[in-house]
This record gives sequence, structure tokens and C-alpha cells, in this order.
Amino acid sequence: MNSVFRKAYFTLLSRSLNPNSASPFFLQALPFVVTSYTLRIPFSRPRSAQFLSLSVNSCSMAGGDGHAPLSSFLTSLDKQFEEFRTQLEESGSLRERIRGVAMEIESSTRLMQASLLLVHQSGPVPVEVLEKAKAQIDVLKDQYCRLAEVLHECPGQYYRYHGDWRSETQSVASLLAFMHWLETGNLLLHTEAEEKLGLNNLDFGLDIEDYLVGICFMSNEMPRYVVNRVTAGDYDCPRKVLKFLTDLHASFRMLNLRNDFLRKKFDGMKYDLRRVEEVYYDVKIRGLATNGESTGDQGVQA
Amino acid sequence: MFFYSCALHKISHMAPKPKPQLLHRIAGDSSQSSAKRARAMSTDSPMKEAFTKYADYLNNLNDKRERVVKASRDITMNSKKVIFQVHRISKYNRDEVLEKAEKDLAAVRDQFISRLINELRGSDFWKLRRAYSPGVQEYVEAATFFRFCKTGTLLNLDEINATLLPLNDPSLEPLKINVLDYILGLADLTGELMRLAIGRISDGELEFAEKICRFVRDIYRELTLIVPHMDDSSDMKTKMDTMLQSVMKIENACFSIHVRGSEYMPLLGSSEPSSFLLGVSDIEL
Repeated sequence: MNSVFRKAYFTLLSRSLNPNSASPFFLQALPFVVTSYTLRIPFSRPRSAQFLSLSVNSCSMAGGDGHAPLSSFLTSLDKQFEEFRTQLEESGSLRERIRGVAMEIESSTRLMQASLLLVHQSGPVPVEVLEKAKAQIDVLKDQYCRLAEVLHECPGQYYRYHGDWRSETQSVASLLAFMHWLETGNLLLHTEAEEKLGLNNLDFGLDIEDYLVGICFMSNEMPRYVVNRVTAGDYDCPRKVLKFLTDLHASFRMLNLRNDFLRKKFDGMKYDLRRVEEVYYDVKIRGLATNGESTGDQGVQA
Repeated sequence: MFFYSCALHKISHMAPKPKPQLLHRIAGDSSQSSAKRARAMSTDSPMKEAFTKYADYLNNLNDKRERVVKASRDITMNSKKVIFQVHRISKYNRDEVLEKAEKDLAAVRDQFISRLINELRGSDFWKLRRAYSPGVQEYVEAATFFRFCKTGTLLNLDEINATLLPLNDPSLEPLKINVLDYILGLADLTGELMRLAIGRISDGELEFAEKICRFVRDIYRELTLIVPHMDDSSDMKTKMDTMLQSVMKIENACFSIHVRGSEYMPLLGSSEPSSFLLGVSDIEL
């Protein structure tokens, strides 16, 4: 399954050779080694090895007549499970390290979120707010780099441990996208998000589904932002947000989703859209800048 | 190695397959959908372009997942057949039953597991593990069950993987059954062994039943040490409980034979073999 596994098995095997557990695997790990049965089988045909070892086994323990050498059977059994335990312990400690980094990511995300919450305060959004949040991006970049290093130890198992940093990554994606939108008014694309986090190599990237879930989270943030902007006197904001969310929702509708978490988040997006539409309606029907109280509460029943 | 990156490369030659019912449902969610859709389609924005890619990625992934699930279901179905075949064993027909089982097992490998491997080719095996795990577990169960009846030994994970190796494309990372699926398969194996043991007892093959009993006990003992280290140990814990039940059922049956069996010994294999079970009413077959 992986190199760690092979290595561990190999060391175990080389310590004591057990014919019951061994020959076919042996051929796979060490193609040209002659086992204790002196079976020399070309690498390309391990299935014949399987049959051979079958017949060897059935010779030694024929018919289940109770004379089977219990001790040797037990040690071969023990050995395999001992092996599994080492492997699973290794995988557990790897997981722990991943969790460690994921928790650091989580706390950077929290800092970022805390600074971004200031955009909801009344009055114009100061540039420092964004700058402060952006400072965390470098921290995150470093943390993802470390995560990639940890995962580099188990090539091909990205998705085995994916769950351990998934939800953290989804919030990272949502905050990055929100900041990007505040700055540029555009959607942060998947490749751009990867770039921001320094995830450009092929071995360790941002999962597209995580990215999309993050975008849905960002959309959840929009109604609140619009309401507070309007309260702060920015009457053009709903129009812009509505346009953006409408496009985003239309884009999401291009996706064929399964009945999973992403689908659920996407289904929630239309409520964000509706809420923004209501705010826009409220502002518009009052001739935009008539008075500063139209926060949109009246439109809830619409 | 990583599916999403591979998928992105493959996108160009995979036409997205629309799923009409799904589209319909989403369209039904919001009344203004068609107007909005038209607007979005007309603007050729980078957002739309990017989402076309995401849509292709998701379509590819979902189609692949579906195919993997189907392959997995076929593996399950046919592995079950092997298990049933092995259950037909008795002391008179042992060799022919096992011979057929071996053939069937090879057929499962050659037809269905190879299809699974083919589907998973070039992608991250862990990404779709949920989709194929049940089938693989069932195969492990069938293969280990067959092996036990044939030789009285436990088929190792490495041995199973070695038999799958020829099905793999040599230029790619071969599919190997992972430890977790193997262990989950073993946990199910004890249930089959319980049935087998009870069946053998009623046929008077006491030694075989005792051997099964020892074997199942060993597996249970080994697995107790493993369970806390497993990824999703809650699932495994329930399996462990069932496994203990199975062990105890075999033990109780052996006990009944031991205590009362001697009286019926002369009847062994004769007209009323079921009389051994009189004392073990709690056995479920």
C-alpha cells in the first residue's frame, strides 16, 4: 500500500521467514529471492505462486485433523497482526501530527475571521482591516506547507487523512474568497485559492469540493454584509452583491451535485440570494438614498 | 495519484453527462431560474469558465464513483456466492466443493475485481474507498473463508494482494486492499465460520468444528488489540461485539457436544445427526 508498509513488512519478514505467510508477497517485494521452499517464480506470474503456496500449505496441514502445528500457525497469525498494529499505530501518529497542524490552521483562520468581522461595523471599511486579515495568509501558507510535508511521508494517501483538515480548509477557502471579493469584487477561483495558499504542486492541492463548500460559506456571509453596509449608508452595495450572488448561484447550478454536504450548502445559497434581493428591493423602492433607516426588515415576508 | 488533478487533465476528453432529473429538481427550487440561467450563460465570465471545469470534475468524479459502486456490488454478490458454495462442504464432497469455490473465486477476481481496478486506475484509492470498501470486504471474507476450509490457515493480506497484482496495470501503482478493509472483512468472516461450525457439528464433524472454534478465537483475540488503532473504530466495535457472539455460539455448541455428545456418539453421521443440537436451542443458523 505504501512504502512504510513495505518497509515494515520487509523487516519483519527478514527477521524470520515463515512459509505460511510468505511466498507470494515475497515475490512481490523481493522478486528474485529464493524462499525457504526454493520456489523461484518469475515476477510476472505471482498467481502461480499462490497456487503453489496453497498446495504447500495443504500438505502441511491437511484436512483439518487437529494435528496442525498450532504453535507455528499462531506465530504466523501473530506476526501479521503485530504488523497491522505497527502500521495502524504509525498511521495514528501521523494523523495526530496532521491534526496538530490542522488546529494551528484553525486558529489562524479564527484570527482572520475576527479581523474580518470588522467589515460589518458601521462606517466605511478601513483598509487596515483587510491588511490585518491578509497578514494571516502568509501564516496559513506556512502551515499548509507543513501539512504538505507531513503528507509527503505517505504518498498516495492524501484522501486517507483528508477528513482531518477538511473543515478547516473549507473555512480557509471561504475567508480567502470573501477577502478577495471585498478587494476586487470578483470570485476567487480555485486556482487562485491554491496559489494564495502555496498549494501549487501536484502532490498536495486544494480539493475542489472543499473549495466549493468554502464558496458557499462565503455566500452565507453576504446577507449580513449587505444589511450592515446599507445601514452604514452604502446604498449601492446591494446591487453589486446581488449581481455577484446571482452570477455565483447561476454558476453553481451548472454543477451536478450528489446528495452530499455540498448539495446542502448549495441549497442554502438561495436563501442568501433571496435575502440580498429583499434588501435591494427595500433600498430601491425607497428611491435609494431617501433616508438611512431602510435596513430591509420590512421585506422579510416577501 | 491525486484524482482531482488527474481529472482536470482528463476533462477535455470527457463530455459532461447531464442528469436531467437533477437539473430539473434544482430548476424547480427557484422560480426565476430560467431567466437567471440565460443571463449567466450569455456572459462569458471567468467565473462561468471556472465552473465549467468544476462541473466536469464533479461529473467525472460522480460517474466514476457510480461505476465503482456498481463494480463493488458485483464483487459483493459474487463473493457471497463463493461463500455459499464453501458452505456446501461436507466430509464427503470436500474436494469438489472447494474446487468449484476456487474457480468461482478466481472468476470474481478476473471479472469483477479487475473491473474495479480498471475503474480506479490512476486515481487516489482512498478518495473512493467508501464506494468500493463493501465489495472488497466481502471478497476478503470469501477468500479467507475459502482458504480456511482448504488449509485451515488464515489467508494473509499480502497473499491476497499478491493474487490481485496480475490484474493491475504494471505501469501504475497497483491496487492493494488496505489493512482496514482486510480487518473488516475478517470480522465478517467469523460470522460465516460460526455458521459453518454449527453445520459441521450437526453433521458430526466435531474435530473440524473445534478447529474452527480455535481459529475464530485466535482471530478475535488478535483483533481486540487492533481495534483501538483503527480509523473508524465505532463501526469496528459493533463488529467485535457480533464476533464475540459468534465465538460464544461456537463455544456453546462445542460445550453441548462435549457434555452431552458422548451419549450420542454411536449415532455419529447416522440417521439423526440433529440430535446433537437438542441442548443448544439458542443457536441461530
